[in-house]
Amino acid sequence: MNGREILLVEDSADDAELTRIAFAEAGIPNRLVVATDGADALDYLFGRGQWQGRDIDQQPALMLLDLNLPKLDGREVLQAIRGDVRTRGLPVVVLTTSVEPFDVEASYALGVNSYIRKPVDFGEFVSAVRQVGQYWLVLNQPRTAWSRATQP
Amino acid sequence: MSPDSHSAPPPASPEDRLAAAEHALQALRSQQEVLAAGISHDLRAPLRAIGSYSSLIAERHADGLSEEGRDYLRRICEASSRMEGLIEGLLDLSHAARASLQARPVDLGLLADWSLTELRDATPGIDIEATVQPDLVALGDERQLKQMFDRLLDNACRFSGSEGAVRVEVSGKREGDRLHLQVRDHGSGFDMRYAARMFEPFQRLHPAEQGAGHGLGLAIVQVIVERHGGRVRAESRPGGGSVFHVELPAAPVAGDGA
Repeated sequence: MNGREILLVEDSADDAELTRIAFAEAGIPNRLVVATDGADALDYLFGRGQWQGRDIDQQPALMLLDLNLPKLDGREVLQAIRGDVRTRGLPVVVLTTSVEPFDVEASYALGVNSYIRKPVDFGEFVSAVRQVGQYWLVLNQPRTAWSRATQP
Repeated sequence: MSPDSHSAPPPASPEDRLAAAEHALQALRSQQEVLAAGISHDLRAPLRAIGSYSSLIAERHADGLSEEGRDYLRRICEASSRMEGLIEGLLDLSHAARASLQARPVDLGLLADWSLTELRDATPGIDIEATVQPDLVALGDERQLKQMFDRLLDNACRFSGSEGAVRVEVSGKREGDRLHLQVRDHGSGFDMRYAARMFEPFQRLHPAEQGAGHGLGLAIVQVIVERHGGRVRAESRPGGGSVFHVELPAAPVAGDGA
């Protein structure tokens, strides 16, 4: 499992904490960085605002994105990420409570890698998180520019 | 020119009235979509927190609670999962009413088998014995008709007593261009005086202890059947099981020359 961070974009503190617990239960050791709105997420990725000076050559291994967010919503965040060469290859998984066909359609049209509905049941959520971690942090081979990873 | 031709505006033409009605309908539809999206996201989010944190307490901190505390906690967990079912039902009802229908020949026997498989997986404690007649082919939307079977068969199993075994029969026959489908159970049945009311949203004929759900299942069935230009009715006597009669358009037979 590579050691890079996971960026969670989530405005609800309850959900961010649940995701943190689920990652711990699933045995995924990567540090979870939480951005509480879409603008904050982009600031993190591009080293602006409160993230001024962050080394943006060290991009997260995975971004988990909620759709309904304050300021910039998830679709706008996706659009910005896919429109910039520095973040074009970042694996983005939408993690949301909505299964409205419109949201699913729009996310794929904007280049999301995967779309997952947050299960209401916590046990199912842990198992979803475990599978997401297994796939994106272990099985998936990222683009070479990203894979100068931090192997011990 | 008549004397009052200047005092009253000319009556709107039928075309204008139709256009105005279509406009109003469109506005209502998009309002409903916004509401459904709101239910889907904004009601579910706090519910996830309630359900997840209470199940975490049950898993990790139950030892620190009294017997009474554990009982209250169990009630919270159960209520939150009931509410999840209710939100799911409301969304399905709203989708059933507004989703566009893709009509093509659909093998109802396959859909019924598929529904039964899922139902057996979801209720491992209940032994479901089913007979499904093959070659019932309707003309309709596969996803919606699958949803119809999900709800009808769930209903059949819900009210089939507590002996842990359920018997269900799905059969039908074709008459001209109509298909008459029957879903029969051998459960507790219902009082025929309330036969029409059970298709209205939130109407229940049984208390929760006897298996009642959120009161949306049969309303969803009715919306789906009526959007297919069909009809649904129920027949029963208390203790004697129930039969749901569904009439749907039949798929054209090869060689009909249509």
